Order: sequence, then structure tokens, then C-alpha cells
Amino acid sequence: MAIVPLQAAFRGDFAMWLVLVEDQDTVEVVAQKVAYHVIHRRLPPQDAPMRVQYSGRVLPTDQTVAQAGLSPMSFVEVFYDA
Amino acid sequence: MPKLERSQWYDLCRDMNWSFKYVTEAEVFPEALSQSHGIPAAAWWKWDEPYKIAYREYVHNQAKKDSGVYSVRSAIARSKLFENLDPGWKAAIIAHYGAIAMPEYLASFGEARMGRFGRAAAWRNMALYGTLDEIRHGQIQFSFSHDLLNKEPRFDWAHKAMHTNEWGVIAIRHFFDDIFTSNDAVSTAIQLTFTVETGFTNLQFLGMAADAMETGDVVFGTLISSIQTDEARHAQQGEPTLRLLIQHGKRAEAQRLIDVAFWRAWRIFALLTGMSMDYYTPVAHRSMSFKEFMLEWIAKQFSDQFRDLGLERPWYWDLFLQELDWLHHAFHLGVWFNRRTVWWNPAAGVNVAEREWLEAKYPGWQDRFGTYWQTIAENVRQGEIGLTYAETLLVVCNLCQIPVCSPTIGAPPQMVTRNGRVFTFCSEPCKWIFEQNPARYAGHLSIVDRFVSGHIQPRNLPGALAYMGLSPGEQGTDAMNCAWAFEQLQSAVTRAS
Repeated sequence: MAIVPLQAAFRGDFAMWLVLVEDQDTVEVVAQKVAYHVIHRRLPPQDAPMRVQYSGRVLPTDQTVAQAGLSPMSFVEVFYDA
Repeated sequence: MPKLERSQWYDLCRDMNWSFKYVTEAEVFPEALSQSHGIPAAAWWKWDEPYKIAYREYVHNQAKKDSGVYSVRSAIARSKLFENLDPGWKAAIIAHYGAIAMPEYLASFGEARMGRFGRAAAWRNMALYGTLDEIRHGQIQFSFSHDLLNKEPRFDWAHKAMHTNEWGVIAIRHFFDDIFTSNDAVSTAIQLTFTVETGFTNLQFLGMAADAMETGDVVFGTLISSIQTDEARHAQQGEPTLRLLIQHGKRAEAQRLIDVAFWRAWRIFALLTGMSMDYYTPVAHRSMSFKEFMLEWIAKQFSDQFRDLGLERPWYWDLFLQELDWLHHAFHLGVWFNRRTVWWNPAAGVNVAEREWLEAKYPGWQDRFGTYWQTIAENVRQGEIGLTYAETLLVVCNLCQIPVCSPTIGAPPQMVTRNGRVFTFCSEPCKWIFEQNPARYAGHLSIVDRFVSGHIQPRNLPGALAYMGLSPGEQGTDAMNCAWAFEQLQSAVTRAS
């Protein structure tokens, strides 16, 4: 396990946050870790699945950070797929 | 008394320029410190400025200024003026002293460099007074903030702040090191005196002086008004320097220097002054909105000077105008959410009257920012205060060192990979400035870089707060203890009934 610091934004929020994930975290866990810093704090939750966009593509939720090719300080955007 | 009219002796005494015989021009004025831009030595001797002050007059004038300011201070010393100030305004001046007092000294370095390496005696003469001015500004602000230490211990951040690694201090230090302390004489004249002082210092000092007087803080208002009179004089070093560069075919370089300094100053002032004017100053005492002030003093008056000199507005002017509507609102939200990471108590500034004012001054504010504050207020009312604090760091820009905020989350940030390291920028102009001179900037580590690379231990938020020099008693809390959140509820209940 290795920690991977990401630069992350949640769609609808106002800024980018530093979020630490692990290389074996799935994309679904990455979305949850980013949402932890945003949802209920500034944005309301939605009854919809969360997705992670990286480098112009939406990542499969069961892919790991390592498999998705996320490296330290990669930028990801999380959003509700409503 | 002098026996001659000043006009009969002034230029002769001041303009002690001569051609060197025993040393070379390059030995006296090394390019790294002076920067001739290839303009011949004798051409620099035509440099002139309108104030034409002599040392005797300078001392006389400064003594009178100090006497006036210190008289106001003495008259008010035993009053309860500070205790009666609005908590939001207290936040504004605690933030101001930490961010500005010590950098006045840093400005004296830049002035002293021009006082030694400026290529005309007239310029060096003016810069000497500028050096003394900036030392005065440091001293007087340390002294006045020291008066308030027994009322609020965090006034010691006037002296302490620049010796810490607090994230905002890193941003301010990065800016001042670039423009003041590590700059050649010509670039300092154009970037510090023409761009920052003629343009933005007016904003900080005149805008805050007006708000201070409205708020009842006569001491602070008098203090910074007095400082501004010095700035107005020594800021005159920029224009003759610019004229010389333009006359000798260096218009593009002059424009580039202005474009760099203007953008950097804009980021810092949006952070400091934007929050103070539109959120910390009590709404009843706001003389103008930050945007109105920027439009009047920067977009109109300062940019008229560009045109008068035959220069253009910076290439990113449209972006700058767009940011007037949202950037400082985002900075304010970020600072409030990360209030433990600053040395003052940020005022949220979003009670009912304040929100109405914000919506009137910035149509669309409610939809864009008010909804965040509604969620925050609801958390306060539900006792979920933990949800109103950030638990990680905001990503900061590798140039301006200020949090990366966006009007359109979804667009990826500006990023550059250099020698395997990722650099992130908040905006196209910050990326442009970095790429003008990457060797100058690339070695610097932002607060986020320091966190990621292990400089900050333990690698968590308490570790980061300790690294920033913020003990629990120094960390910011809401200036009103979040009373505004309940006032919002009360107002809603009143409307419903």
C-alpha cells in the first residue's frame, strides 16, 4: 500500500482539495474520500452514484488507483451521475 | 535658511552623476542588481521626478506626519475604542498587521536597492527617501499593533507572521520576494513602485482608511492615511523609469514587467482586501464594495496611466474583470472554512443584511455562494460544527501560493510537469508568469508540496497547523461565534410567520 496524494474537486464545489488515497483504493473509495470533504459541508448529498473523471475519461468504479494510472498530484473530479 | 531659491540649487546638488574612470560601469552597477536594458549611462541621467524634495524638507515633513499620527494615538489611548470595534473589523486589522507590517521592511530592501543601484542620482535620491519611508511604515505599524497586545495577543503576529510558514504568509512572502527583495533596480521601480504602489497600495490604504473611519477606528484610519502620503511620493519612481525604457525601445519588456506584477498584486489584494472590504467591515460602514473600488481605482484610474504612457492593459484584462465578480468570494469561503489556519478570527459576513448587500453588489452571489453558506449555517444550527471546518488542505497555486479556486469546477487546473514534478496553477496568467522564468520559481515548495513531501510531520492537519506556527490559542475561530447562523434562522421564522 502506498499513499497517493491527489488534487481533487467535487463538481459544484468552489475549490480544489488535497486528498490522500491509497494505491489499492478503488475508484469508488476515491470518490467517497473526496466527497467526505465536500458533501454535507457545502453541497447536499444526492441520490445518485458518484463518478470520478481523470484526464478526460470517467474511470470504472472497481478499478484501483494504480490500475487507473493515478499518480501523485493527479487531478480528479468527482461528480454525481444524476 | 538657504540663501538661494531651491530651483537655483536643487538639480545641481541632486544630480551628482559622473563617468567612471577607475572602475567600469559594470562593476558599479552589476546587471543582476541594476539592469540597464542596454540603455547608455548618460541617458539614465535624464531620469527625473516631480517631487524634488531635499533631505531637510523630508525630515521636516515626516516629523509633522508622525506628530499628527502619534497625537491621535495618544488622544485615544485610554478610550475603549478597540473594545467597541466590530469583531469583523478587528479581524481585518489583525490580518492587516500580520500581512503588511513586516513586508514594509521588505519593501525597504527594494527601495535601498534602487537607492544604490539606480543609474541616476535623482533616482537614488528619491529611493533613499523611499527606504526611510518603508522603515517608518514598518516601525509605526509594529508600534501601533503593540499597543493592542494587551487586548488581543494575536497582534504579535504583526511581528511574528513573516517568520512563520503559515500558508498566507508563504503567499505574501513569495510575492514580496519576487517583486521587492530579489529584484533588480529597474524591475523594482516598475513592478513595486509603478504597479503595486501606484495601483494596488492605493486600494489597500485608501479603501481601508475610508472603511476604518466609517467604522470608528480613527487610529488605524489616521495611521494608514499617513502611510499613504509617503507611498504617493516614492511611487513616482516608476513612471520616469518606464518612460526611459519606452524611449529606448524597451516597451515590450516594460509591458511584461507590469503584466507580471499586476497579476501577482491582484491575487494578493483579492485575498486580503477583498475579504476585508466585503465581509469583515460592518455592512453599515462599507464605503464601496471591493469590486466598485477595483473598477474605480484600478480598472479606470490606474489603467488610464497605461494608456498615457503608450502601454497596453495587461493581456489577461478580460479575465481580471471577470474575476472581480467571484474570486475574492471564493477566497473568503476558503479562508473561513480553513479558519484554524489563519491568525485572525474571520467574520463569515453572511447574516441577513450582509447577504442582501452581497446580492445587491454582486448579482448572482446568492446562487453562486449563498447556497454554500446555507449548508454551513444549517450545520451550525444542528450542532454539527465539525462539518464547518476543513479537514485537509486546499490545493494552492505553485506561483501565487493561494488556494486554487474556480468559477467552473470541472475544467482541469493549469498544470505543468517539469523534471518529473507536477506544478499546478490557479490561472493562465500564473502559469504564464512561471513559464517566463521557471528557474526563478521552480525550486519553491508550496505548503501542499511541503505536506506531500514529508516536510510537515506528522502528516495530518494538526501537524500542518503546528508547522504554520499556529498554537490552538492562535488559530482562528468565527468572529461572531457563528451567531449569524441563528440570525438567519430567526429571520426565516419571522418571514414565515
